[in-house]
Order: sequence, then C-alpha cells, then structure tokens
Amino acid sequence: MRETFSNRIKVLIIIVLLFGSGILIASKAHGKQMLTEGYKIEHSGETIDWEVTENVIIQTASSQRPPDPEQDECLHCHISGSAENLWVPLTRWVTFGTVGIVMAFGFTRSVWVWRNRKPWEPISTRVGNWIDERYQTKNALEKVLNKPVPNWATRWWYCLGGITAFLFVIQAVTGIMLAFYYKPTPEAAYESIQYIENEVLFGASIRAIHHWAANGMIVMCIAHMLRVFIMGAFKAPRELNWSSGVILLITTLAFGFTGYLLPWDQRAYWASTVGSAIAGSVPDVGELILVFLRVGWNITAATLSRFFALHVIVLPIMVIVFMGLHFLMIRKQGLKEPL
Amino acid sequence: MSEIQKPKETETIPFYPDHIKTEIRVVWVMLGIAILVGAIAMFFPVGLEEPADPMVTPAHTKPEWYFLALYQILKISKIPGTNITIQPEIWVSLILVALLILLILPFIVKKGDSKKNIRNRLIGSVIFVLVAIALTIQGWFS
Repeated sequence: MRETFSNRIKVLIIIVLLFGSGILIASKAHGKQMLTEGYKIEHSGETIDWEVTENVIIQTASSQRPPDPEQDECLHCHISGSAENLWVPLTRWVTFGTVGIVMAFGFTRSVWVWRNRKPWEPISTRVGNWIDERYQTKNALEKVLNKPVPNWATRWWYCLGGITAFLFVIQAVTGIMLAFYYKPTPEAAYESIQYIENEVLFGASIRAIHHWAANGMIVMCIAHMLRVFIMGAFKAPRELNWSSGVILLITTLAFGFTGYLLPWDQRAYWASTVGSAIAGSVPDVGELILVFLRVGWNITAATLSRFFALHVIVLPIMVIVFMGLHFLMIRKQGLKEPL
Repeated sequence: MSEIQKPKETETIPFYPDHIKTEIRVVWVMLGIAILVGAIAMFFPVGLEEPADPMVTPAHTKPEWYFLALYQILKISKIPGTNITIQPEIWVSLILVALLILLILPFIVKKGDSKKNIRNRLIGSVIFVLVAIALTIQGWFS
C-alpha cells in the first residue's frame, strides 16, 4: 500500500515535470514568436538587436500613454487592457494549459488502469466518495433529491414563485456588476451611470436587465401572491409561509423604492421626494419616518448613501433570510392539493 | 375496463431529475428573455433624464409605476357625489391597515376550501387587479 502510494507520487512528479516543461517551452516559444512578429512589422528587413528592441519597447511604452478619459475613443479597451494586448498571455496559458491538463489526465488514467488492473472510476464518483467518507453526505443528499413531488406541481401557475426567486438571482448578479462601477455620491452618481451606459462593455445591457427584471420581479411577486390567495393555499397550516411572503413583497417594493433614487436624475429625485412624502403622511409617526428615510428634511447626499446601503446590504440580507424560510417551510409542508 | 383511466391526483414524480428538469427549462427561458432584453438595450437603453436639481421641480412628479395606484388613491380628496373630504392621512392609515390585514390574513380567514369560496376569491382578485390597473393607467396619463 505504502509502496504503491510513493510510486504514484513518483509517477505524478514525472508527469508534472514532463508536461509542465513542455507547456512552458511551448508557451515561451509562442510568446517569442508573437513578440518578434510584432517587431517585424515595425522594422521589416532588419535583424533583431535585442538592446534596440528593449529601447523601442521602453520608448513606445512611455509615449503611448492612454489618452484622458474624455478624449479616449475606446475607454473600456484601455481599462480591460485589450488595447495593450494584455489578454494574449492568458489566452496562451488557457490554450496550452488545457491541452497539457487533458494530456496529463489521459496519461495518469492509462497508468492507473495499467497498474491497478481494473476499470477507471470517474472523477465525480471519486470526489463524491471522498466527501462521503468524511462527512456522510450521501444519504442526506439522496433524501433531498428523491423527495416525491406531486405530478401536478409542474403546471404552469406553480412556477410563478420560482420565477420570482430566479429573477432575484438575476438581480443579485447584475446588481453586483453595476456596483463595481456605481458611485453613491450626488456628484458622481449621475456620471457613473452615464459611464455604465456609454463606456462599460455591455454596461447598458446589464443596466437594462437589472431595470426590467426589477419590474418583472414585482409583477411575478403579485401574480404568485394572487395564485396562492385564489387557491386558498395561505390557510392553516401554511400561515407563516404567507406572512413571510408578504414580508418578501414589502421588501421587493422597498428594493424598487430605494433603487429608483440611485441614478440621481430628475425622475429619480422627484419620485423619491413624492414617495418619502407619502411615507411622511402617516399619522403621528410620519415625520419621524420621513426624517429617518431622508436623513433630515430634504433629499441630500446622506439620503443617497442611506438608500444605497439599504439597497445593496440590508434588503438583500432580508430577502435571503426570508426566502430561505419561505422555501424551507414549503419543502416541509408540501404544496396544497388543488381541488 | 376498456376506457383509459386518468392518472390519480395523488401520483408523484421524483424531485430529481423530473421536477428539477421542468424548473431548469423555465430557467433557460428566463435567461433567454434576459439576454434578449440586454440585446435590445444596446439599441434602446434605459437612459437617464437631466441630473437631479432640487431647485427645478418638473411639471409631473410621479412615483414608480407600482406605487401609482396607491398614489392615485391618496389623491382622492372627496367622495364623489358628496361633500365629505378625506385627508391623505386617512388613506395612508387605511393602506397600512390593509397591509397589516394582508400580513395576518391566514390567522383571520381559516376556512373556505369549497369551489364557491375559490370562485369568490377569484372574482375578488380579478376586481382588485382591474381596479389597480385602471388606477395605474389613470396615474400614468394624469
């Protein structure tokens, strides 16, 4: 047992060295070829003098600074580095690396089959067994996956809630993408949205998906709620499921309300003014709510910060917690049987 | 027994792979729609209005469309045909009470599984949706 193990290590080291050096040599050769070809374009007919080349590279690097952001014709080309061919080495590594890994895997597999005299077990089985040996997950997973679902659960009106959940996933992904570029201050917010719309690669698409999926999420939320209401699925024993659902609806509306201010344009500013004024007309505690929402009596930089924090930190946590409860409860109790 | 029997309502399918498969199909459709929206947005972006200016109030200030129905309700200051005026505070309180009732609805309504109950709830929901749509359209064009 011990001997086979050390032998395996030896074989592995040999494979890694063999293929690693092969990949390195190949990629270096490829890189040198790329460099000299680029050099050939500039100095056709001359032999390569590496000192001259180095000077040329230094000179061009210092003279070809990217232009100012306002005068840059393709800002995202500079930001993503495509103007400087920064992506070439990665593509090289991915290409040669994939070939190397595939070949190394084939070699290991052949050696394993030859040494052990038995058929190869797929990687997924091995990983599954490895985890199961340590954490005994197989039974629990099987129980979860094999849980019987009534066959009428695939009718279309049962997918409305699922669609809402999936739209939330879309919102999370596109929202994180937008947050990479968005700046939550009155001076910079509007410009950063303009920047997302005009300069960021697919920025306008991501923003549009976030915008329309938000509207879709509210529509689907209400549709799901009406379905549950009409079919009477909210009644005992599913009371808490309904209540958590109503909380999720309110959270979704709060998402829409806080997110609407973030672009900081006229529509956003005045919609938030009207919205918070309505919240302020609640009897007795209205003014407190207003001051708490606006952080003062007017919508200012502090309001924007607060709405941003609510939109990207507080509300997502709330949605995840209540959605988890919502799913756990329906999983435990099952769907209500239709009449 | 020559006639074909309908499958019983109590018959089940396994969660994996049957139910997961249908859900993944829905996910594919949704992703397709999302990509379509993204593609269309390259020609018709969401866009921006003028930068926010607290000094300049636009002619029509409106909340988002999903609050328009509530906003229209708040605007009703008189019950038509009478002289009774209603303060917006009363509407806001009523809406809050409605929300609270919605939250604890299953603790109030405990019975009602007959066909008649379902039909009544269906009719109520349709009326609610129609009124909401009408108010939203009214708010949109006012």
